[in-house]
Amino acid sequence: MDIKNNKYYKLWFKDPWTYISGAILLSLFQIVTLTTTNDPWGVSGPFTNWGAWLYQALGGNVDKWYYFSSKGAQATLAGGFLNDPGSIRNLGIIVGALLAALLASQFKFKKIKSLKQVIAAMAGGLLMGYGARIGFGCNIGALYSGIASLSVSGWVFAIFLFCGAIVGSKFLVKFFM
Amino acid sequence: MGKEVMLDCLGEACPVPLIKTENALKKLTIGDLLIVHIDHSCAMKNVPEWARKEGHNVEIEEVDDGEWEIFIEKAK
Repeated sequence: MDIKNNKYYKLWFKDPWTYISGAILLSLFQIVTLTTTNDPWGVSGPFTNWGAWLYQALGGNVDKWYYFSSKGAQATLAGGFLNDPGSIRNLGIIVGALLAALLASQFKFKKIKSLKQVIAAMAGGLLMGYGARIGFGCNIGALYSGIASLSVSGWVFAIFLFCGAIVGSKFLVKFFM
Repeated sequence: MGKEVMLDCLGEACPVPLIKTENALKKLTIGDLLIVHIDHSCAMKNVPEWARKEGHNVEIEEVDDGEWEIFIEKAK
């Protein structure tokens, strides 16, 4: 029998899961993350460490940087990639997303449409990365984990995230439509 | 039978395909067919969802690995 027509293949691998099942799984796994690593789920923080390791590999030094000045940050950097749960988890997200796309046979190299798209993507990435560090978290660490920890800061973050999204959408419609 | 319009949204990420679809559909008249070509899996969910909510007839066809054509017949 052709696997493409198999009911369970379609249900589990091909068709998108519902928002509800995604929400339940995310909630369960962020609890697992908190109990096993003693830190709430975060995504952009480990990327900052990746940047620091890359900079060190090129001969740079971040010892004097305020962001990495705490003992904890120094210990994480000294421990390396394999001893940083957040880094392993981020790698897992990337590999898992690739696997999901491959299993659904939806993997595709997408063409870059225009120079405008490249510039917007780089500007957006820089702004998001910079904002996530200044705000001590991204929409996962500060918003999702903040709210999950019953912290008011998560809700404050949500309000301003929403304001930013409105402004960003206006720019998007103005320059990309 | 209305006219057929192709909308190329390959390489575009959310929410660009949805907004382009909304704008393209505004220009069409009842009975026209809009074919949206996408390769962004989220757009495969939100474009048909929006069009169905608006009351149009929608069909999705997977034309290649990670590539879809969304057929939207303007119904009102």
